[in-house]
Amino acid sequence: MTESSANKPANGDACHRASGAKKPGRNGYVKSPHLIQQKHCHAKERSHHVITCNGGLYSRPFDESFEETPMLVAVLTYMGYGILTLFGYLRDFLREWKIEKCHIAREREEQRDFVPLYQDFENFYTRNLYMRIRDSWNRPICSVPGARMDLVERLSHDYNWTFQHMGKVIKDVINMGSYNYLGFAENSGACLEAAAEATAEYGVGVSSTRQELGNLDKHEELEKLVARFLGVEATMAFGMGFATNSMNIPALAGKGCLILSDELNHASLVLGARLSGSTIRVFKHNNMQSLEKLLRDAIVHGQPRTHRPWKKILIVVEGIYSMEGSIVRLPEVIALKKKYKAYLYLDEAHSIGALGPHGRGVIDYFGLDPRDVDILMGTFTKSFGAAGGYIGGKKELIDYLRTHSHSAVYATSMSPPVVEQIITSMKCIMGEDGTTVGQERIQRLADNTTYFRRKLREMGFIIYGNNDSPVVPVMLYMPAKIGAFSREMLKRNIGVVVVGFPATPIIESRARFCVSAAHTRDMLDVALSAISEVGDLLQLKYSRHRALLTADWSSDDTSYDGIEN
Amino acid sequence: MALGDAWKQLSWIYYQYLLVTALYMLEPWERTVFNSLLISVAGMAVYTGYVFMPQHIMAILHYFEVIQG
Repeated sequence: MTESSANKPANGDACHRASGAKKPGRNGYVKSPHLIQQKHCHAKERSHHVITCNGGLYSRPFDESFEETPMLVAVLTYMGYGILTLFGYLRDFLREWKIEKCHIAREREEQRDFVPLYQDFENFYTRNLYMRIRDSWNRPICSVPGARMDLVERLSHDYNWTFQHMGKVIKDVINMGSYNYLGFAENSGACLEAAAEATAEYGVGVSSTRQELGNLDKHEELEKLVARFLGVEATMAFGMGFATNSMNIPALAGKGCLILSDELNHASLVLGARLSGSTIRVFKHNNMQSLEKLLRDAIVHGQPRTHRPWKKILIVVEGIYSMEGSIVRLPEVIALKKKYKAYLYLDEAHSIGALGPHGRGVIDYFGLDPRDVDILMGTFTKSFGAAGGYIGGKKELIDYLRTHSHSAVYATSMSPPVVEQIITSMKCIMGEDGTTVGQERIQRLADNTTYFRRKLREMGFIIYGNNDSPVVPVMLYMPAKIGAFSREMLKRNIGVVVVGFPATPIIESRARFCVSAAHTRDMLDVALSAISEVGDLLQLKYSRHRALLTADWSSDDTSYDGIEN
Repeated sequence: MALGDAWKQLSWIYYQYLLVTALYMLEPWERTVFNSLLISVAGMAVYTGYVFMPQHIMAILHYFEVIQG
């Protein structure tokens, strides 16, 4: 039976259950339209669970939820921070009056009256809150960060000011924090052998910038391959993902331009926007009404004092926001961009390779045309197991960037084994190495994501973000639970990443899980039972909407199972 | 048997108290300071209640004319 995309979400009556068999290479269409009908009748009970099928713009339901913080939990969290602040003042007082030894950096006695180099008050949070649970971060890993890793065991005898390594290693910790979406962070296999050959042939250091003598034929090959992968005319690759954003946005926008950036954009985008010298206006996270209002105001009123029209308007969004797990509403953004003639800069750091039925990112996920996005940026760190970033777009744009980007002119080019790793993994994803390993990994990632998110939601945790994103933030809220969660999970041999202020709003601290294609179902089950256990121990199951959704589809179905097309 | 279970339950409740008030992150002497402050304030409230509650109850009953005189 065939069903075209046009009549998919709109009419729920032609419902049609696909067979349970996995079909790789299927277009990313919604599994069964009658899902939407069922979900709509539950929609009233879930105040913030948004499922939109915005006319014909979306070919699949856009299902994201940001459940509101329970009032009692918010009050208790503030109380907890208040108590910590009071004790922080007490400790600072003791340190000032030399009753207690001070471990932080201080000026020497002779320099007391100089202009202070170490700003004491600004580090209040670091000294008094971060230091107490510092053992949850910067844990040294002594193996490849694949699905399992080894951690160095650290002991601290003075409450985390210093650490001792006793020589012991915690082995086979399940890794739920690495951005290893397709499982290419491995120390065996085709990618490794290719990278080793490249090292043997080219060495490791390039010793020059792209513009001078650092342009290897491998770089040219990589750029052509990435252009083919994304479906754009040309791309350019850089050695560092952060530097790709912060060094290239200044080349693209300048004084007299307007940058409209999302509230929750990454630090690299914010830095790049500030360095460029353009006017920056911020719209609410993933909120198209806010963006449209800003666009209209910008076009109507023009530049601040002179009211001249803006030289260009650049909308900067990300594919997947890594702290929230939400996916950008790309069809609507593109519609707005076309209507108001603005340019779009899409940062696909987390979504390239991780979304879409062919792994081509968020554009593939929504089934859109890559030529609609003016500047496609992404990184090779997350799904390709390498390092670096790329920018893709029209050939004129890339040629301009080759001469005007700071990163091309001043930064050393990518190292050859890294380039080879990207080439091999990209060919694997595209299926050009002759196997179906790439497509299997993409399918497995989608399975794992759906399963993991569904299970966590069933257990009663508050999860943020879109149902299809492999980044899963679980809310913790209280400051003591941040440290407690990390330590309890490590006791159960699972490594997690916990995040607090200032990366997130002060009461919304979270544990961020990154699902990977390298995780097997068993590993996920082990992790889930440990998470449930720790959740009961720490009372983390705050959600008021337990066990509401899940009767809709069986556990074998994935988001990419489609109807024969 | 029951005493062991009760002890475990109390231990878990104390752990929750530590987590909610963020005492979990503080050093043992800081926990002692906070707990003693809390217990002394709570103790003072209980003592005041014990001393003055009969007078207050009599005054209320007198006001609502349940008791005459």
